[in-house]
Amino acid sequence: MKRYSAFAIAREAARFHSGWERAWRSPEPKKKYKAIVIGAGGHGLATAYYLGKNHGIKDVAVIEKGWLGGGNTGRNTTIIRSNYLQDPSAAIYEKSRSLYETMSQDLNYNVMFSPRGVLMLAQTHHEVRGYQRTAHANALQGVKTEFIGPQRVKEICPIMNIEGPRYPVLGGLFQARGGTARHDAVAWGYARACSDMGMDIIQQCEVTAIKREGGEVKGISTTKGEIACDKLCIVVAGNSGHLADLAGFRLPLESVALQALVSEPIKPCMDIVVMANTVHGYMSQSDKGEMVIGGGTDGYNNYTQRGSFQHIEETVRALIETFPMLSRLKMLRQWGGIVDVTGDRSPILSKTPLGNCFINCGWGTGGFKAIPGSGWAMAELVAKGHSPLTAEFGLDRFKEGRFIDESVAAGVAH
Amino acid sequence: MSNAVSALQGATSDGIAKVTEVGLRGMIILRGDLTSAKLKKAAKAATGVAFPDVRECHCDGDKGLAWMSPDELLVMVPYADVVDATARIAKALAADHALAVNVSDARAVFSIEGAGAREVLAKLAPVDLSRKAFTKGMFRRTRLAQAPVAFWARDEDAFDLMCFRSEAKYVFDLLTISAKAGSQVGFL
Amino acid sequence: MLILECPCCGVKAEETELHGGGEAHIKRETVGSDDDAFEQYLFTRANPRGVHLERWRHANGCGKWFHAARDTTTLEVFGTYSAQTYEPPKAIIDAIKAKRPDWSLKDWQGAT
Repeated sequence: MKRYSAFAIAREAARFHSGWERAWRSPEPKKKYKAIVIGAGGHGLATAYYLGKNHGIKDVAVIEKGWLGGGNTGRNTTIIRSNYLQDPSAAIYEKSRSLYETMSQDLNYNVMFSPRGVLMLAQTHHEVRGYQRTAHANALQGVKTEFIGPQRVKEICPIMNIEGPRYPVLGGLFQARGGTARHDAVAWGYARACSDMGMDIIQQCEVTAIKREGGEVKGISTTKGEIACDKLCIVVAGNSGHLADLAGFRLPLESVALQALVSEPIKPCMDIVVMANTVHGYMSQSDKGEMVIGGGTDGYNNYTQRGSFQHIEETVRALIETFPMLSRLKMLRQWGGIVDVTGDRSPILSKTPLGNCFINCGWGTGGFKAIPGSGWAMAELVAKGHSPLTAEFGLDRFKEGRFIDESVAAGVAH
Repeated sequence: MSNAVSALQGATSDGIAKVTEVGLRGMIILRGDLTSAKLKKAAKAATGVAFPDVRECHCDGDKGLAWMSPDELLVMVPYADVVDATARIAKALAADHALAVNVSDARAVFSIEGAGAREVLAKLAPVDLSRKAFTKGMFRRTRLAQAPVAFWARDEDAFDLMCFRSEAKYVFDLLTISAKAGSQVGFL
Repeated sequence: MLILECPCCGVKAEETELHGGGEAHIKRETVGSDDDAFEQYLFTRANPRGVHLERWRHANGCGKWFHAARDTTTLEVFGTYSAQTYEPPKAIIDAIKAKRPDWSLKDWQGAT
């Protein structure tokens, strides 16, 4: 793989950009791999990358039904933060956030990580108390956050109306090193690095069956033929239930559509990410100038990756009191992604009832920020059979009642 | 005895339709078996109007009966009579599995009248309000923007609408904005 | 936009009048049930890509609960039916099978 650098740009400029190579190969699948990852989204590609980089397992295929990064990786609102209350969540999300800081250098691919700060508004007294508690918990966890008052909120984000009649801004939980990244670039960067390690990324290849023998996984059947493997890792977000069905077990989760929309592009007016969980909306401004707005989930099981009329109304209505300037903006487009939401709204990174088959799912509405940490932890679990970061996220917690109960992946603002 | 007043004390606005808070109205929620002859008799005795079928409302001035759900009826009487009327219904159905409760002070009632009345409601509620679909005497529980409401067609271009008293101002403002002069969509 | 006909009041209600209540026909576990049964009851859900049976409430309307048979990938509605039943009536099963001949209630009950 040729390295991307300022020198490379100058060199290619001198020869009319004729020397760039494809970022990743598109090979035909081999008969057998040591490990197969199903799902070439952010989490699947990151899992494959760290299998190779941290554990030396490079005989890996990443199988993708559609195109690389075309699911939730390409449909989220790109927010990165780690200000969670419970220790297991804070640990994996903070690991993830710290990996984002150096991701562009590690992958030699500009993922445009922008630690612009994430502000979660407290608009009721309950939220004030809740976020103060989270700030204290974060201090103990080594996650740098602070609770700030309304005046400081106004200084950080001047376009905000902090004196709304219904939900005035009473303060906020601020994580200065949270922010955003270019979501497609995260998938592309991992894919390029995986391909460079000799891994095969096989797109437009749907898994049709999972082959089992004596309680262990033996391989998969796909639309491009049969592929054997020693270990299988399922990382397919909204389609987890379907793949688990093929593997012969059930999951404690349901798939629902989560929607987002963007406005027409305007001049820079907001240089942080703001989340307003009480009124249910969250917003940042993209480099193109569009206001990127996230809404809520549809309240029913759904596999259609589409937006719906009432969500525009609900989400924009929720934000207008706090951001009056939005009332004069036109909305440009909306879309939906299928998120898998578990019973306790926290993810599952776990062994499964099928031997040598692992599953990474249940990230629900909060998956993008977790990509590198999730991949790091999952690779360790697949390679070694255990990982300190995944220990609390097992499937068995639902039977044992050990929930990680903080709505990590709730159908609310993320 | 306290001096009862309605939520907005007769507020009005005018535009493509006239919106009026009609003041106090006696309202009794009657839950029970709507097929029971005894219940029908008690409800008719209180109002003098015919018993409504599914999603119907029969009115005569301040008096009326509206079908709320398979086991719920709204009985409307003049406000001054509501306490007595509630007691009479409760007495008539004392031996049955039924409940009559005076909810008058928990409600606000508006009338929307004029050529644009259908449009005013159609802009706010997910209901087909075309003349063909929503005819005189029909009753519908739904939402108006964020507020749960019920409305019924008293006439071709005259509707009555009720909401929770605590949301009266919000609903009145919604109706007023929706009825703003020159805001016809012209679709209905 | 999803539109379901409420079998209790006959209104063809769009989704903002309705509230989804999740998987239908779940067996309620109680005193004496073991941990596995409680896990199934509380957390394990049918999450089919295709035909699904659900509970719905006509929240901004007559307020009643009912059941719906729907496809989660196409949003096609096969029908709605009474909440007072342990399994879908024959008419609903026939309506589903007319469009999805391979579907069976048994598979759905065991589906993930």
